[in-house]
This record gives sequence, C-alpha cells and structure tokens, in this order.
Amino acid sequence: MLEATTHAFALLFSGDEALWRIVWVSLKTSVLGLLLAAPPAIFLGYVIAMHRFPGRRLAVWLAQAALSLPTVLIGLLLYLLLSRRGPMGELAWLFTQQGVILGQMVIGLPVLLAFTLAAVQALDPRYAETAVALGASKLRVLATVLHEARYGVMAAVISGFGRVISEVGCALMVGGNIEGQTRTITTAIALETSKGEFAQGIALGIVLVTLALLMNGALVLLQGEAHTAGGRW
Amino acid sequence: MKVHDNALLTVHGLRKRIGARTLFEIDTLAIDSASAYVLTGVNGAGKSTLLRTLAGLERCDACTVQYQGRSMPLHPYPKALRQAIVFVHQHPIMFSTSVFHNIAYGLLARGDSSKQVAPVVEEAMEWAGVLHLRDTAPARLSGGEKQRVALARARVLAPRLLLLDEPTANLDGPAREQVLKLIPTLLDRGSSVVMACHDRDLIGLPGIRRLKLREGRLEIR
Repeated sequence: MLEATTHAFALLFSGDEALWRIVWVSLKTSVLGLLLAAPPAIFLGYVIAMHRFPGRRLAVWLAQAALSLPTVLIGLLLYLLLSRRGPMGELAWLFTQQGVILGQMVIGLPVLLAFTLAAVQALDPRYAETAVALGASKLRVLATVLHEARYGVMAAVISGFGRVISEVGCALMVGGNIEGQTRTITTAIALETSKGEFAQGIALGIVLVTLALLMNGALVLLQGEAHTAGGRW
Repeated sequence: MKVHDNALLTVHGLRKRIGARTLFEIDTLAIDSASAYVLTGVNGAGKSTLLRTLAGLERCDACTVQYQGRSMPLHPYPKALRQAIVFVHQHPIMFSTSVFHNIAYGLLARGDSSKQVAPVVEEAMEWAGVLHLRDTAPARLSGGEKQRVALARARVLAPRLLLLDEPTANLDGPAREQVLKLIPTLLDRGSSVVMACHDRDLIGLPGIRRLKLREGRLEIR
C-alpha cells in the first residue's frame, strides 16, 4: 500500500507520458461533451421552467429520472446504436474518442437540464415580467433570465462536469479503454486495479480528486462572491 | 362609460376567473389620453390582477380592446399595446446590472443604440433624483430608490399608458414624498397613468379620476 502510494507520487511528478495522456483524454472528452450538451440542455431547461404546456410535468419527471440513470445503461444503449449493425453504425464511432464524447454529452445533458430548470424555476418571476413589460423580445428575456440565474447555471455546468469526468461505465463500454486513445482516468483506474497494479490507479485518483476540489472550489468562490458582490453589479 | 374622441384605449368584456370564482367582470373600461386614474378597492378585489391583465402579464378570459381606432383581442397580447403600455410592480425588481442599465433596458430592447440611449437615461436619472446612485448595486437600493428607478425605467419609453401597482404602498417619510412628487410629472408628456392604491394623497391629486373595484364590478366616479 505504502509502496504503491510512493510509486504513485513518483509517477505524478516524473511527468509520466502515459499517465498525463490519460488525464488529457479525460479532460478533452469531458469538456467537449459538456460544451456540446450545454447549449441544448440550458435552452430546454429554460423553456420547461418558463412555459406552461401539456406534458410539462412529464418532461420534468423524465429530466429528473435521467439524472439517476446508471451510466453503464447509457453505455449499453450507445453501444447498440454505434455498433456496426446499429442505426448509427455508419459513423464508426465505437471505440473512438468521438464515441466517448457522445457518451459524455448524453450523460451531461440531463444534469445540466435539471439544474438549469431548478435554477430558473427558483428565480423571482418579476425578472421575466419586468423584461416583458419593458418590451424585451423572447431572446432578450432568455438572456436576461439566464443572466439573473447565472450562479445556478454555473452550478449546473460544474455538477455536469463532475458527473462526466467521474463516470466509468459508459466510457468503458463505448470507448473500449484503448491506450492513448480512449483510456480515461476512470477506465484506467478500473483496469489497473483489476490487474493488481495500484500505483497508476492511485496517481490518477489523486488527479481526479484534485480536479474535483478545484472545480467545486471555483463554485464555492463564485457563490461566495454572489453573496457579497451585490456591491459590484 | 361612453367611448369618446379622447379615448386612448377601450377594453370590452374584461373578465377574469380564478378557478370557479369570478374575480371581476367589467363590461367597458375606457382610458382617456393624458389622464390620471386611481384604482381603489379592498385587498383581494383584483386591482393588481386588473392592471396585470391590461399589461398582458395575465390572460383574460375573453376580451377585446380598441386602440388607435383598431379592435383587437387582448390575448395574445398585441404588439401595439406592448409598445404603448408599461407596468410597474408594487415591489419593482432590479436587474443585477447597474442603475444606468436598468433604466436603459427598455430602450436597448427596442433597438436604440447606446449612443441614443445615454442622454435619455441621464435625463431620466436626473428626473428621478438617482444620479448619485449610478454606481450603486441595484440590489442595494432602498425601497424608495428602487421605486424611483423603476419609474424612470418605465418613463424613458414614453409610454402612452403607465400602470403603477401601489407605487407608495410600502414607503413612508421622505421616500414616499419623493415618489409622490414624481407621479404627477409622469403626465407632463401626455402619458396616461392608472395606479392601484390605498393612498389618500394619490387619490387627492388634482384632476385625477377614480375607479373602484367592488365585488367584481368597476365603479367609476
């Protein structure tokens, strides 16, 4: 245990290429997946929060239920869609970074949607009413409301990042854990541990925990600022 | 109430139901150009709802409105009315930008350039006595300051009709006096004003006409 940990720190600080390549693949696929998911998810969250329409409760229910979908199940679904004989087989995305990015996007979408929905729903309705009363277009009302709900939306993005960077099931099934290509932090930890080699797993775990601390630290800072920063806006 | 030449806006069949209860049922509501009205009534009589309906923030069940010689339904809310009517909340909310940008909001939404907007906003800030608050966070304004910024925010749009929901209800002392002084000047540019209120001073403004909601009917005095 101690030996593995010492070795882990040695790996981290020696600039081990394979290790940092894994970190890079993880960050790249997570960030890209999230960037692709954010615009439609935030827009849908806003639309559901702001409008009354038939099936609204169904939409809220599905969005929240999707939060607790196991990622392996999403992985299975995407595997079937992307496999050579599946409906999206033509893309040849199975076991590629594109496939992993698609998976991260699908996993991130409900998180972003549900959190944005909650943030916009919690906002004082007078913001939107005032914007409408002052003659704002639909697009301007959207921009104004999302601006007023910006801390909640940022929390949505950070939670989404936390979910996609830490998920293992989908990346493993769709990406196939190919070294240098689709091996992410989580799939590498799973593999190394199953081989009984703990050093790289521990090193990657440290990276993952550091990322989580940094992201959530940023969130705490932002929210702290929101609380006291009335003064600057 | 007869429709006559000076009418800015005439609403027919203004009816609002909440569940099975009819909140109000008004055959005809005519508002004249460059005129001031107070709308009184006990709490829950539907004063706010009536103003909000006129502003297109609440649906009415079935009603038509005559504006500029044209007849149109009130729902979906016609664009001509959106440009002509501005509603101000009892407790106005400030966008978390700046006092300047709050007042500029409607002008920018209308498509005016920042260059066109700046002098208009300056003038409105002076009118409302909030020039010194330019750099204050809108969230930190007092109730009276918020009300004055909200009045300026509405006034810059030069609306034909201003709907004010209890503009002095939660103010007292100098803050209330300041708002009371501003309200008559809103009419100077030919706007009409309808305000819901309990306030005796507002009701006593010279030339003001009185509307009263009682048990779902509108009494005109």
